[in-house]
Amino acid sequence: MATTAATPTTSTAGPPPPDSRRTRLRNLRGKIDVKLSPYLYISPFFILFAIIGLFPLVYTAYVSMHDWHLIGGQGDFVGLANYVDVVQQPRFATALRNTFSIFLLSSIPQVITAIVIAAVLDANLRAKTFWRMGVLLPYVVAPVAAALIFSRLFADQSGMINALLGYIGIDPIRWHSDAFASHIAIASMVNFRWTGYNALIFLAAMQAIPRDLYEAAVIDGASRVRQFFSVTVPLLRPTIIFIVITSTIGGLQIFDEPRMYDQYGLGGADRQWMTVTMFLYELGWGAQKSFGRAAAVAWLLFLIIVAVGLINFTITRRIASSGAAHPKGGAR
Amino acid sequence: MSSSVASIRQTAGRGAARAAAHKRGLGPSRRPGWVTYALLVVFLIASAYPLYYSLLLASSDSATIAQNPVPSLIPGPNLIDNLQRVLGSDIGFWHAVLNSLIVAVITSVSVVFFATLAGYAFAKLRFRGRRALLVFIIATMAVPTQLGVVPLFIVMAKLGWTGTLTAVIVPGMVTAFGVFWMTQYLEAALPYELIEAARVDGCSMFRTFWHVALPAARPAAAMLTLFTFVASWTNFFWPFVVLGSSNPTLPVALQLLQASYFKDYALIMAGVVAATIPLVVLFVVAGKQLVSGIMQGAVKG
Amino acid sequence: MRTSIKPWLTLTAGLAGMALVVSGCGTSSDPAASGSSDGGSSSASDEKITLTITTFNEFGYEDLIKEYEADHPNITIEHTKAATSNEARDKMLTGLAAGSGLTDIEAIEVDWLAELMQYPDKFVDLNSDEVKGRWLDWKAAQATTPDGKLIGYGTDIGPEGVCYRSDLFGAAGLPTDRAEVAKLLEGDWQNYFNVGKDFVAKSDSAWFDSGNAIFQGVVNQMDAAYENPSDGSAKDLATNTQIKDAYEMVLKASVDDGLSAGLSQWSDDWTAAFQNNGFATMLCPGWMLGVIEGNAAGVTGWDIADVFPGGGGNWGGSFLTVPTQSAHPDEAKALAAWLTAPEQQIKAFISKGTFPSQVDALSSEELLGQTNAFFNDAPTGQILADRAAAVTVAPFKGANYFAIHQTVVDAITRVEVDKTDDAASSWDKAVTAFTELGLS
Repeated sequence: MATTAATPTTSTAGPPPPDSRRTRLRNLRGKIDVKLSPYLYISPFFILFAIIGLFPLVYTAYVSMHDWHLIGGQGDFVGLANYVDVVQQPRFATALRNTFSIFLLSSIPQVITAIVIAAVLDANLRAKTFWRMGVLLPYVVAPVAAALIFSRLFADQSGMINALLGYIGIDPIRWHSDAFASHIAIASMVNFRWTGYNALIFLAAMQAIPRDLYEAAVIDGASRVRQFFSVTVPLLRPTIIFIVITSTIGGLQIFDEPRMYDQYGLGGADRQWMTVTMFLYELGWGAQKSFGRAAAVAWLLFLIIVAVGLINFTITRRIASSGAAHPKGGAR
Repeated sequence: MSSSVASIRQTAGRGAARAAAHKRGLGPSRRPGWVTYALLVVFLIASAYPLYYSLLLASSDSATIAQNPVPSLIPGPNLIDNLQRVLGSDIGFWHAVLNSLIVAVITSVSVVFFATLAGYAFAKLRFRGRRALLVFIIATMAVPTQLGVVPLFIVMAKLGWTGTLTAVIVPGMVTAFGVFWMTQYLEAALPYELIEAARVDGCSMFRTFWHVALPAARPAAAMLTLFTFVASWTNFFWPFVVLGSSNPTLPVALQLLQASYFKDYALIMAGVVAATIPLVVLFVVAGKQLVSGIMQGAVKG
Repeated sequence: MRTSIKPWLTLTAGLAGMALVVSGCGTSSDPAASGSSDGGSSSASDEKITLTITTFNEFGYEDLIKEYEADHPNITIEHTKAATSNEARDKMLTGLAAGSGLTDIEAIEVDWLAELMQYPDKFVDLNSDEVKGRWLDWKAAQATTPDGKLIGYGTDIGPEGVCYRSDLFGAAGLPTDRAEVAKLLEGDWQNYFNVGKDFVAKSDSAWFDSGNAIFQGVVNQMDAAYENPSDGSAKDLATNTQIKDAYEMVLKASVDDGLSAGLSQWSDDWTAAFQNNGFATMLCPGWMLGVIEGNAAGVTGWDIADVFPGGGGNWGGSFLTVPTQSAHPDEAKALAAWLTAPEQQIKAFISKGTFPSQVDALSSEELLGQTNAFFNDAPTGQILADRAAAVTVAPFKGANYFAIHQTVVDAITRVEVDKTDDAASSWDKAVTAFTELGLS
C-alpha cells in the first residue's frame, strides 16, 4: 500500500485528441475542470472555516498574549508571560497528569475492544442488524444524560456499583476521593459511549476489504487470528489512523464527563480529576476570570495534542505497515 | 461511456462474487460459534444497561429511587405519568423537538455532502497543497472548543444570528471530522481504476464524483449521517449559550427539568427517555438501510 | 447510465446547486460553481417592544410576567430560564465577554455579584426614588458600589433557621417541639455542637449533613472573612486566624466528634441520605425548605426551629440587573422594579418559596400567615421573617471572596468527605492554593 496516493487520475483525462476545434475546447475545459475541481470540492470547509473558525483561532492567540480579564477585557500586552505563568502552576501539572491518565484508561481499552467487537460483527452472524444497532445504542445517549446516569452509578455510598460490590463482599471503592478510581469511573463513562461507535467505524472499513484476500489466506492455511493480523489490520490502516487521531483529540480535550462527575464541576477537592480543559475553564470562567491565561492553556493544549497526535500517527503507521510487510495479499 | 459502464459492472460483478463467496462460507464468513455470541451478549448488556437504568428510574418515583441504590430490574408503574409530566411541563417540548429536528437534518445532510466532496478530493485527486491542507483541517479539530465559545459568540452577534437556529446550524454545516472520515474511507474503499474508467469515458470531474465516488462512499456516508445527526441532537453547550430557552433545542429545553429545588430523578430520566426515543426510532427505521449500507462493501454501480 | 438516486442524495445535491450536472457522461460540462442563495430575510420591525429576561432555578415569575404583559399591551416578555445558577452564570459571562447577547434583565446570584461589582459600567445604575428603602439595608448594600451605584434589585434572601427531624430528636430523648428546640439550640456554635454530641451518643444518625455547610454558616457571620473592606485587598490566608479557628472548630466537630454525616452538599450521596435518616439537623435558609421537601419526599418528621447558632445568618439570595447592552434599559428597569416590588415578591414567595428581601413584604399578613405542611405546619413565613430580622452582619465579600473561600472549602472536603488528609496537612494545601492565586 502506497504511503502517498499519487494517482494517475489527473494525467489521463479523455481519449486521444483528434485535431478538431471542438475537442480542443473540450480539452481545455477538461483541463480547467481537472485543475479546479479539487479546490472547489474542499472549498466549503475552508469558506466556513474562514467565517467562523479562523477568527476564534486568531482572537485566542491574541488574547493569550495579553493581560485579559473575561469581563474587563483587554489589558496590557504581556508577551508570553501568561504561558510561563500557567506552566509554573502546579495545577497545570496535575491537570496534565489527570488528562493523560484518563486518556490512556479510555482510549487504549476502547480501541482494542472496538476492533475485536468489529471483527466479531464482521463474521457471518445471525441477526446482524440487531447486533450492530445494539452496539451503537450507547451513542444515542446524550453526554449530559450519560453523566447523570453514571454519577449515580458511581456514587460512593448510595451508588449501584458499590452496592453490587458489597453483595460479593468487596469493600466500597472510593470513586471520588481516590484519584485513580475517579479516573477509571470517568474513563468508563467515555468507553461506554464510544466503544460501540468506534467498533462500527472499524466494521465499515472491514466490510470494504475484498473477500478474496481472505480466501487466499484460507487457501494458504492461515488461522483466523492470523488472517486478522495479516489481512485485516494492515488494510484497516487509514481507519486505524483516523480513530487514533480522533480519539487522541477527543481524549485530550475531555471536558463534559469529568466536569459533570460531581456537583461542583471543579475536579474534586484535590483537583484529582481536573483535566486540562477544566483547568482552562476554571482559569477563564472561574473565580479569577483570566481569559488571557485560559487562552494560553488552550494554545498549550493545542500544541500537546498536535505532538501526541503526531507520535500516535507515526507509531500507528509503523505498526500497520510492518504488519503489511510479510503477509501475502496484504497490499494492493 | 460504454467502456466505463462495463468496467464498473465488472467491478460490481466482482463485488457480487465476493458476496457470493461470503455466503458460501469462506474466510471470516463461516458461521461463528457460541463464544462469539457470548462475547456479543456481554458487550450488549453492558451497552444497554445504563440506558435501561434510565428507563427504570423514569418509571419510578423519587423516593423509591433514593431508597434503592440497585433498582429492581422490572420497570415501575410511573413511566407514562412521568413522560406526561415532561410533555406537560412548560419547557416547550414539541417546539424543541421541531428545532432539534431541523438542525439535525440540515446539518447531517450538509455535512455528508460537503465532507464526501472534500474527502474524495483529498483521497483521490492530486492537487498542490493537498497534504498540507488536509493536515490543516485535522489540526483545526485540536483547537479546544471551550475557548472558541467567546469569539464565536462575537461572530454570531455581529452577524445578528444569536437566538436563531442559524447560529447553531451554520457552524455545523461541514466538520473537519467529516472531511477526515471521508478521506480515510475513500482512500481505502475507492479503487483508482473506477475513477480512471469514468474519466476515460469523458465524464466531467463532478460527474465522476457523482457516479463513482458517491456510491462508493455510501456506507461511510450512512454512518456519517447517523453520527452527525446524533451529535447534533445531543449537543448542549453551544445551543444553550447561543439560543437560550425561548427558542431551544431539545437538550436545552430538557435541562429545565432540573430547574427545581431538588433533582427529581424520575422526571429528569423521563426527559432522557423522551429525548432518546426519537433516536431509537431513527435507529430502527434507518437501521436496515445503515447495515445494508455497511454491507455493500466497496463499490456498487 | 440510469442510476437510481436516493431522495436524500438529490436533496444534498440541490443544496449545493449542483444537481443540474447529473444527467449523463457523454458530453462534458463545466464544473458547476453556483453561488448559494443567501437567506437574508429580516423580520419587520414592530412598534411593540420585546423585553428579554433570564432567570435560573425557581424565581416564581411565570404568572407575574403574564400579569405585566396584560397591563402593558405594547410589551412582550421573553423569559429564558437556566436550570442552575452555574449555567446562567456561564451564559452571562459569555455575553459580558463578547460584549453582546445578554438579555435586557439578567438575574444574578449574590455569589457572583462581587465579581461583577468590579465592572459597574457594564450595568445600568438602578437607583431611583421609587425604590429607595425598599430592601433590607444589608441586601441593598450588597449591590451598591462604593460610589453609590445600585447595580441590582434584590429579589429574595436566604435567612437561616435550623431544620430538624423531630422523630429522630424524640428517639434520642431530645425535645421535639419547635419552640423547645429553639430554646435548646439558642447560643453559640459550641452549644449547637454540644447538643449534637448528646444526640449522636443516643442515635445512629449524624447530627448535621456536611461540615462545609456549617463552615458556610460560620463564615457568613464574619464581617470580613477573607478581604479588607477598606481596599478590597486579600488577607493572607496563612495568618488569617479567624478563618483558621473556624476551620479547626468545624473539623473538630465534624470529624473528631463525629457529628457530621460527611457528605458533600448536592451530591448523590447527600440526596440519598434524606431518605435514610442520614442526619438530624440542617442549617436551613428559606430556599432550602423546598430542597428538603423534594429530597425527603415521603419522610415524615421534618420541622424548622426559629433559631440559629451564633446569631442570625443569611445564605444566598439573588438580584435582577439591567446590563448596559440592553436596547431598552428604561423599560427593562421599570419591569425589574415592578418584579422586585414587595407585592410581586410576596406572590413569588407563595408560589415558589423564594423569601422576599423587601422590608414591606416582611410585615405583610399574607407572608406572616404562611405555613408549610411538610414541616409539620410550621409558620414558615413568621419564622423566616424573624430570622431575617436576626441578621445583623452584612459580610464584606470582595472580588476574590469565592476564589479564597474555595481553597478552604476544598480543604474541609479533603478531611471530612474524602478523608485523604488530616486537618493540618489539608490546611497547608489550602495555603499553597491561596498562594497560587497570586493575590498578595
